[in-house]
Amino acid sequence: MKKIKVSLESVRDEIKSFYDYKQWHLLTLNGLALAENKMEVQWIFSKYEAMDEIVVYYTEIENTETIPSIVDMIPSAIISQREIVDMFGVKVDGSEKGLYLDEDSMQRPLSGCSI
Amino acid sequence: MKKTINIPLGSQHISLLEPVRFKFECENEKIISVDSDVGFVHRGIERACTTKFKFDAIGYVVARVCGLCAITHSLSYTAAIEKLLGGEITKKAKYLRILLLELDRVHSHMLCLSHTCENAGFEAMFMRIMGDRELVMEIQELLTGNRVQFDYINIGGVNRDISSEVAQKIVNNLYEVKQRVLGYMDEFTNNWSLSLKFKTIGALSLDDAYRLNAIGPLARASGLNIDVRNEIGYLPFSEVGFVMQTHSEGDINARNIVRLNEILNSILMCENILSGLPEGEIFTKLKGKPNGEAVVRFEAPRGELMYYVKGNGSAMLDRVRIKTPTFASIPAFSHIFVGENYADAPAILASFDPCLSCTAK
Repeated sequence: MKKIKVSLESVRDEIKSFYDYKQWHLLTLNGLALAENKMEVQWIFSKYEAMDEIVVYYTEIENTETIPSIVDMIPSAIISQREIVDMFGVKVDGSEKGLYLDEDSMQRPLSGCSI
Repeated sequence: MKKTINIPLGSQHISLLEPVRFKFECENEKIISVDSDVGFVHRGIERACTTKFKFDAIGYVVARVCGLCAITHSLSYTAAIEKLLGGEITKKAKYLRILLLELDRVHSHMLCLSHTCENAGFEAMFMRIMGDRELVMEIQELLTGNRVQFDYINIGGVNRDISSEVAQKIVNNLYEVKQRVLGYMDEFTNNWSLSLKFKTIGALSLDDAYRLNAIGPLARASGLNIDVRNEIGYLPFSEVGFVMQTHSEGDINARNIVRLNEILNSILMCENILSGLPEGEIFTKLKGKPNGEAVVRFEAPRGELMYYVKGNGSAMLDRVRIKTPTFASIPAFSHIFVGENYADAPAILASFDPCLSCTAK
């Protein structure tokens, strides 16, 4: 697994220059709660027909920051983006809340400060 | 006046076993857009894994994510932990893990095919396949003690060895299943209800399969060469006869044919495992606590299953992320529905073989 740290501002450009849709596929977006209202966001890719070639782009953000969407480049990302909105209570451009959790469910259960 | 009508399919519908709701916007009979809701039974398993259970118990917790592919879940988690602990398991344990993985695939594909028959109105074939599927459930029970949700895999190996009587019973039952699957192949190729009727329906092109990151039988039916068994060195799939099955048409019929061929290939792999099962122990004690990050993938019956695990050197983990195949395929599902007739929606949905238990983990 190769991890590449990027800034929130540059993540779209980095993924755009890396992603060839016939060579790589997006496994998922992942979130990881860090201390004091911070989290790590990961975009995990795998290469077609290669032995265990995994690339992870990641960035650390404040929970109040908005994560840019990559749906225009990778349409299937929408489902993971919506999940991360529900599970961590963060904002992702163009991704609505409510994929998994109803209003009366526990909110942002994986953020480390659920309500 | 609005020219379209909205028709819901689910959250409870005769063609669905699990709660998912698609909202189709239709112009006359044709579907022009789709909205989906998968959040009816979210169980919070990822959170439970990091707050309620120690790392050595989680393999049994994640086996409860899904009744059909329990083995792939516990295997993926266990492999991630073994990667972090740095241990190597015995060859016999690896072979037994593949055996269970492939038996799981056989009965899961049979379930999907039977539902395809049910959606085609072919009730007799539905019951025939479900009856034949019992042959596989029976050997899973003999091998693991349970028909479903078997706690067979543990960190360092597997929980039960296989006796020569059980091995013989597996060989006999799989021979029976193989004969019956060859019979299904004839039905799914030549019977109008199961073949011609489904040709060109619910098709996904190869380019769209790439673009939408399709996985599993859905992608392989469109000609996309993606099968995790071909992309990991952790278990020796090629040694036991794995051959990737693909098709080019991308429609319901192509998905059925891919699944049938995969059942036959899985049976061959099981036969090879049993005839060449290595001697030795089934368990290796691995010491320590997981520290660091690992991403592990396995090919579940519905496609690529991914586990991300982060440990901190203690018994409690920082994160367990589960990416299930149905969840990842929802954008592709939605795309396929557009342009199809509403009347075909249940059959198309059944051909996806969706698992909402996995999705709302």
